[in-house]
Formats: sequence, structure tokens, C-alpha cells
Amino acid sequence: MTATLERVDEARTAPAAGRSRARARHRLTVLAFLAPAILGFALFFGYPLVATIAFSFTEYDLINPPEWIGWENYAYMFSDKLFRTAVHNTLWFVVVLTVARVVFALGVASVIARLKTGVGLVRTLCYLPSLAPPVAATLVFFLVMRPNEGPLDSFLGWFGIEGPLWFADPAWAKPGIAAVVLWVSGDLMIIILAAILDVPQEQHEAAELDGAGPVRRWWHVTLPSISPVLAFGVVNSIILALQLFTQAVVAGSAASGSADVTGSTKVLGFPENSTLTFPVWLYTQGFRYFDMGYAAAMATVLFVVSFAATALLVQRMRKASYQEES
Amino acid sequence: MRKLHRAALLCVAAAVSLTACAAGSGEQAEGSGPAAAPGKDDRFSLTVWSNYSGREQAEVTKALESFKEKFPNAEIKHEGSQDDDKITAGIRGGNPPDVALSFTTDNIGQFCSSGSFQDLEPYLGRDDVDLGQITDAVRSYTEYKGTRCAMPLLSDVYGLYYNKDMLAEAGITEPPRTTAELLDFAKRTTKRAADGSIEVAGFLPSMPFYANNPQIWAPHFGAKWEAPDGKSGLASPEWAQMLTFQKELVDFYGYDALERFRAGLGQQYSADHAFHQRKIAMMIDGEYRTAFLQDQAPDVRFGTAPFPTGKPELYGTGFTAGTIMGIPKGAKNPGAAWELIKHLSFDTETIVELANGIKNIPSTKAALADPRLEVDENFKTFIDLATSDKLQGNPVTPIGDAHIKAISDFATSWQAGGVPDLMAGLAEVDQQIDDRIAKSGK
Amino acid sequence: MTAAVGARGPVAWRKVLDWVAVHSLGLALGLMFTLPIVFVFLTAVMSDSQAFTEDLWPREWHWGNFLEVFEQAPLLTYLGNSLLYSMLATVGMLASSIPAAYALAKLRWRGRNVVFLLVVGAMMLPPQVVAVPLYDTWSGLGLTGTLWPLIVPYFLFDAFSIFLLRQFILTIPQSYVDAARVDGCTEFQALVRVVVPMARPGIAATALFCFLYTWNDYFGPLLYTSEKPDQWTLSLALSTFKGMHHVQWNLAMAVTLLIMVPAVVLFVFAQRSFVKGITFTGVKG
Repeated sequence: MTATLERVDEARTAPAAGRSRARARHRLTVLAFLAPAILGFALFFGYPLVATIAFSFTEYDLINPPEWIGWENYAYMFSDKLFRTAVHNTLWFVVVLTVARVVFALGVASVIARLKTGVGLVRTLCYLPSLAPPVAATLVFFLVMRPNEGPLDSFLGWFGIEGPLWFADPAWAKPGIAAVVLWVSGDLMIIILAAILDVPQEQHEAAELDGAGPVRRWWHVTLPSISPVLAFGVVNSIILALQLFTQAVVAGSAASGSADVTGSTKVLGFPENSTLTFPVWLYTQGFRYFDMGYAAAMATVLFVVSFAATALLVQRMRKASYQEES
Repeated sequence: MRKLHRAALLCVAAAVSLTACAAGSGEQAEGSGPAAAPGKDDRFSLTVWSNYSGREQAEVTKALESFKEKFPNAEIKHEGSQDDDKITAGIRGGNPPDVALSFTTDNIGQFCSSGSFQDLEPYLGRDDVDLGQITDAVRSYTEYKGTRCAMPLLSDVYGLYYNKDMLAEAGITEPPRTTAELLDFAKRTTKRAADGSIEVAGFLPSMPFYANNPQIWAPHFGAKWEAPDGKSGLASPEWAQMLTFQKELVDFYGYDALERFRAGLGQQYSADHAFHQRKIAMMIDGEYRTAFLQDQAPDVRFGTAPFPTGKPELYGTGFTAGTIMGIPKGAKNPGAAWELIKHLSFDTETIVELANGIKNIPSTKAALADPRLEVDENFKTFIDLATSDKLQGNPVTPIGDAHIKAISDFATSWQAGGVPDLMAGLAEVDQQIDDRIAKSGK
Repeated sequence: MTAAVGARGPVAWRKVLDWVAVHSLGLALGLMFTLPIVFVFLTAVMSDSQAFTEDLWPREWHWGNFLEVFEQAPLLTYLGNSLLYSMLATVGMLASSIPAAYALAKLRWRGRNVVFLLVVGAMMLPPQVVAVPLYDTWSGLGLTGTLWPLIVPYFLFDAFSIFLLRQFILTIPQSYVDAARVDGCTEFQALVRVVVPMARPGIAATALFCFLYTWNDYFGPLLYTSEKPDQWTLSLALSTFKGMHHVQWNLAMAVTLLIMVPAVVLFVFAQRSFVKGITFTGVKG
């Protein structure tokens, strides 16, 4: 498969015995570098994954031993109305958040990178929200975007605009949550900023000598050099969107007026299940309805689909970057 | 390929048996009758987990400490902020508390049927406990299909709150007794601005909103969750009556105007609660609201009454739910845990003091009648509801609150005008709930 | 330089305009990001009955809220636990993730791409589900009720950090690493002498995120230590301010701000290492 890409240049000219010894040593080095990771991977990922897949074929209430029921949990997905809703909501977040988050973070980082004074201050201010616990961040947005009386609506009122019901409107609740996530995307911003500042100055100077303006330099020098980090941003955003949980629960609960931070099951997804994301529904099934078998089946589906999608994406990006190199 | 297949199967088997072992550990004292009670002067310690915190937690700790009057050498560790997930994890990990308190009354079916809370019958039988001391409704939400795995720790009872001034202004002297009256009074106390937007809503019928939940409303319409055949029975005239009442009032306001009004109202447990702010004239809520109003909105002149009913003969019906406590599977010291639960469930002085402390309704008849219970005119409504034999307990199913979410979602879409045929829609919800129960296998 | 010959004026003028545009944009962004934090602050100094109402401005300034939270909860103990968790996790993450990231970015070996995919895949299991089998394992080891189930994994494997570090190390030109090898460095020496100095901004960022993630982690401590209050972290202490029928928003927000303070201080100091990027200076030394 893809693994055959490997080449062992330095060993190619050596005699056969030396080559194999060098190769063995190389393998040992790789193994040494990866040893803790391999152990950790097996313990904290491999084992839970296998357990989850196994549970997905059982009826399991978390207390009594699981009972094998075959494909029943998977079959139930087709009669579970909210399963479809949850898939739809999460797909929405994957598409919107991935694009918005990367573009937004790149934009902000690019502006900060060009600042000459007050860089530290602006960077700190932009990163500040990411330090707030997600529950607090979501509640703050809920207050700011409160219909009629919130500061955002007062602001819009100056322009004669009547704001929508935001978190209480099924059409606006998801964009509202997306706004919260963008507001706390300071970490991605910092990552991209670090990458931008890492772009060797000589490359910029060379481009400037060729008469390239700031925009063209940004496009032709900055962007290609930070593409691995942007790729990270894309994959990271997809995962974040797939696992969106806390913000959705808190926003739904606050907008329904119940203000129960832990989220009462009855108001999950408020309004009209528009904030019922896949992980929220999965969690509800597993820990509120005590149907861990079904939750595990949902987790397995989520994992398989997202893993396949990411594998494809990573493959694509690698191809793109190879073309760039050659 | 073949080899890989077998290896994978082995892994799966290993994983399943591993977790099964973890979940199955600590079954020592079960099935073999009740664990012995500790001697009066025995030294022992009990761990109690609850989801209380702050002031409420301190009050509950005080109540727990009163246990030492009976067992002077007992030591009680009360850990607050423990939710149901944590209790489940503790049971699975073989390190559960001796006594677990849970706010999620809806989960009682699961607690009892899975055995995560131990069956208390052997203890009740051994100690000859008279469950008649507890009102029927409260008993109903602490057991599942005849298995009693929990006892009540105080309860919440729901009734009508009305703003006396706002009703008087509209020429109304008595609170509504029927939902027809409620409809009429709600319209008369509603105020609109010149542009048609709502300034004051007489009664806000949206679902979900504050305590507007199907399970809290249903008893007042005589709506039952189960049909006589044991299946979900929502496609009934009573549920239809309830939803029709709701829709009529929503249509009176106009759905969009109502949503806009509702979205601007304060949170259920904050000082700008709509009733505190005089933005709604009437609402359904629990007894605890009396304390909030005295504390946060002392100027609001309010009264309480039983919530209006669909049929006159139902008047005086109330809904109740409350904190439940049980002995988790694998508890280290179940014998002593039971003594503590018994103390908290039946010791009148402790119950009364705790009820006064956190402003909830006592769950035994003796405590309800106790003169030391602080009862003012407004709180008395709830005491009366609690002692009435019309009181209805929280519905019990093996599927958590999935049934409530199903009908709540339906009501949400119905109030928005998204349901063409009410009875057909309700039948569909019945189907969803029955599917869910069938899948749960219980 | 080419343009500067005949048109010095316009270029200078354009530069000023550019400066103003970029800086006002930066200022606007800074404000936009900060305003909601200001709301948190204003709520934190409100009275209990005013907090979370439609009011934005405190009627009275209750500075005492910041002291009251210390009376309601032993915050200093929690601070110690938070520091222990975050610092050990960060150190462990660096020790385990840097070599792994290097192996994935700069070493060539069979199966590298598959392993990389698995690292990415490891982030895709919903944490709520993974928690079930993991909790069983840790309780089997008798370690629930402590912070170790949260710390130990960082010493072995943290997918996010490995992934992020790998991407940063990828941006280091291969020629530098090859040069070190030609100079007779072992892979370990190449990593320590060339890659680590060059990837310092990325490493600093990854360490910072690790620290802050664990600092704000709520569900981890809740699951593993909530029954042992002497093991609580600051973020878990936030839950102390909500009851069954009551949430003390003002105090919750005050604690939120207090929790943020050490993180902000850390960030202000740490950010210098992002600025001093690699460019040329760090390479030859």
C-alpha cells in the first residue's frame, strides 16, 4: 500500500551486510522513538476501540454483563428518527466549521503577523477567549446574543435590523454555536501564526526582489510553506466538529430557559432538535437511556465514517504536497 | 487473512470478558437476604454521594449527621457534585458509595431493573417497615414494576402561581380552576405593545419552557402514559385535550410573537425569571419557587393554588417528583447504608428540618403534618396537594425519559403548526416509545 | 526597491495607509475577542440576584465575590492539584510526543503512513464512549480517585500533540536534518540538536495547548476524582457553584476568571517563544 513509499537512500551504496545492519539499526531507532506511543496507543485507543466495536453487537446497560444481539443496534438506527437528525446536524457542523474555522484563524493570524506594534497585546486578546472553559464561553455568547435585550440585538437595532431569535431559532442555533467555536479558536490561530512566522525570511526577500507585493507573497510564499499546518487545521476542525458536545448541550439548555448546565435530557437539542449533535445523541443513549450497546454502535459508525473520510483527505493532501515539492 | 480474523475475534472476546468482569465485581451480599444492621455502638463509616452543592449540600450534610443520634460512632462522608454518570462509573469500577442520591427520578426504572440500586424489599420485610407512611404518588416514583430499589428524600410538588395584582387588574378575583378558565384569564391578563408584540403573557403555554413539561402537565388533564394493554397510550382524548388547550393559547398569541417573547425571558433559576419580572401572570412551578420569590422578588404579590384541570372533578390534582436514594450494587456496607436510608426516609424531625432548610416538600405523612414544618399561606397549597390522594407521581419506564422527550418534541412541533393530524401524530409517538421499550428488552 | 526610484512619495503614503489599515483591523479583532470576557467580568462583580439577568452593568460592585469563592471552596488545594495535573501532563507529553512526531515526520520506514493515519484516527473515537472501558481499566488498577489516570496517558501517547508536532516538524526543510546526518549525528542527536531548536515555536505552542487543555479539563477530573474533594482541580470546583434549584452565576463567573488568570500569565510569557521563530539564528548553533 502506501507504505512502499519508503526509501533508504543512505544505505543504498553500502555493501549488503552493512546495509542490512544499518537497516536493522534504523528500525531499532524508529522503534525506540515510537515505543511509548505504541504502548499508549494500544492501551488508550486500541483496547477501547475493540471494546466499543464489541459492545456495539450487544445489549449492554453498563451494569449487567453484555448480551450478544448481533446487528440489532445497527438495525435500530433506521427506525430512530433522531439518529437522522443528529447525523444531519453534525454534518452541518463538519462542513461549516471546517471551512469557517480554518479561514477565520488564517485570516486573523495573517493580520496579526503583519502588525508592527502591539503584536503581543492583540495576540493575547485574541487568544483570551480560548482560555475560558467551554461552558462559560457558551453562556457568555448566549447572553450577548439574547433576543431583543442582548447587546448584539441592541447593536443591530442601531441599524434598524431586528435580530433573529438566535439560539432559540432552529435556523440560527447552529450558526450561533459555530460563532462560539470560532470565538475560542485562538489555539488554531496561534498555531497558524507560529507557522507563518516560521516561514524563512529569505524566501520573502527573494519574492520581494521579484517584485511580488504583500498579497502575492502571502499567496505564493506564506501559504505553501504553512500547508502542513493548514492541513492540521482542517483535520483538527473536522474532529472538533464531529465531537461537538458541550457547546451544543449548554446552548440548547440555556436557550430553553432551563439553565441547567448539565443539560436535562428533555431540553437536549433545543430548539426543535436543531442542536442535537451526533455525540449528544450518542451520549444520551449510552448514559441517560442506559443503552450502551446502541451508543457503541453509533460510536463505531462515527469512527468508521470519519476515519475513512480523513484517510482520504490525508491521502489527497499528501499527493498535493508531493506535487508541490517536485 | 484467516489468521487475522481469528485474532480479531479473540481480541473482541477478551475485551468483552474484561469489562464484564469489571462490571460484575462486588456482588457479594446480594440475593442472600438483607445485610445485618450494625450494632448501636459499632464503629463504621458510610460514604454518601449526591449532586447537591453549596448551601443545599450543607443542609443535607446536617441531616445526615443526625444519624449519629442513633449510631454515635458512625462516620459519614458526604460528597456533593456527583451525578448519575459518576454513580454508574462507581458501580462498574467496584467502588460505589454506600448510599447514592440521584436527582434523575426518570431513571428509576433503569436503576431498579438493572439492579444498579439494590432491591430494598428484604430490608423492608425484615424491619417490618410500613410504607403507608409515604404517600402513594411518592411511592410510585420510587419503585418499578413492584421492585422497590429506592426511597424518597423530600419531593417537589407542582401547582399554579399567579400574580395577584395582575389578575386583579384584569378584574379577576379568584385563580382559575379549569383550563377553560385559565385560557380565558390568560387572554385577559395578556398585554401587547402597539406593534403587536407581547409585553405580558397571561400564561405561557410553550413547551419546553420552565416547568412546562408533558409529565408535569399531564395529570391535570387526566392524561395517562400507558394504555390499558400496557403499551404507550398517548393517542387518547386526554392527551389530545391537553395539546388542544396548548395550541389554542399559542394561536391566540401567534406562534412567532410568542417565540420572540419567550426567547427574551430570563433563566429558570435566575433573578430575571419572567414571573419575578411580572412578564407572565400565571405559571406552573414547584414549591421551591416560593422561597425564590421571597428572596429575589419580595415585591411581587403572588398566590398559589392547585393547577387548573381539564375536567372539574380533577381539581386538586398535583404532580410530584423528587430526589431518590438507594444502595448501589457493590456497596461496601449495605446493612448500615439501609439504616441511614431508613433514618432519612422516616425520621420526622430530620425530614422536617431538611424540608425547612431547602424548602422542599417532606415525603412522609407524619412530617407533612408536623407543626414544626414552616408553612406559610403559599406553601400550604403544596402541602395540601401533597397530602391529597389525587397527587400523581413521575411516570416510570425502563427507558429513562425517552418517552418524555418523544412527546415533548411532538408538542414543540405541534405548537409550531407542524402537525396536520393530531391523533395520527400521537399514534406515531406511541410507536416510537413502544419501539424504544421493545428494544430495551424490559 | 525597484519601485522606489521615481515614486518615493506614493510608496511611503501607501505604507502609512497599509499600517493604519492593518492596525485598526488588529485592534477591532482584539476588541471583538475581548468584549465577551468583559461580560464575564461584569457578571462576576454583580450581586447574586442581579447576575444572569438582562442587566449588563452591575448596580453595585461586589468585589467581595472574588474573596467569597475562596471561603466557599478550598481553591488553593485545587490550584495545587491543577498545577500537578497540567505540569506533569505537559512534561510527559513532550517526552513521549517529540520523538514520535520526529519519527513520523523525518524518518523513513515501512508503514509510516499507516501509523500516521492511526494517530489521526485515535482522535476520532468519541471520548464519552472511550471513557467506559478506560474507567474499568483504571479502577482495576485501583487508581480511580486520583489524577493518575489523567496524567499517565500523556507519558505514553497523546494523538493531538503527536499530530501537531509532526506537522510543525514537517515544515523544517529536510536539508537541515540531512546535513546533521552527514555530520555524523545519530538520529537522536539530529533530533536534539537540529529539530528541537528549529521547531521550538511549535513545541512551545504544543506544550501550551497541552497545559491549557488539562488546566480546563472538566470531564476527566469529574469522572476520576469527583468523589475525592482533596483531589479536585480548579475546573472541577466550578461545579460547586450550582445546586439543584440554584446556580450562583456571579460566583461561577468569578471562579472562571480566577481560573483563567494563571493561564493568561503563562500565555503572556510563553508567547515570546512563538515570536522568536527559527529563521536562521537557531540553526547552526
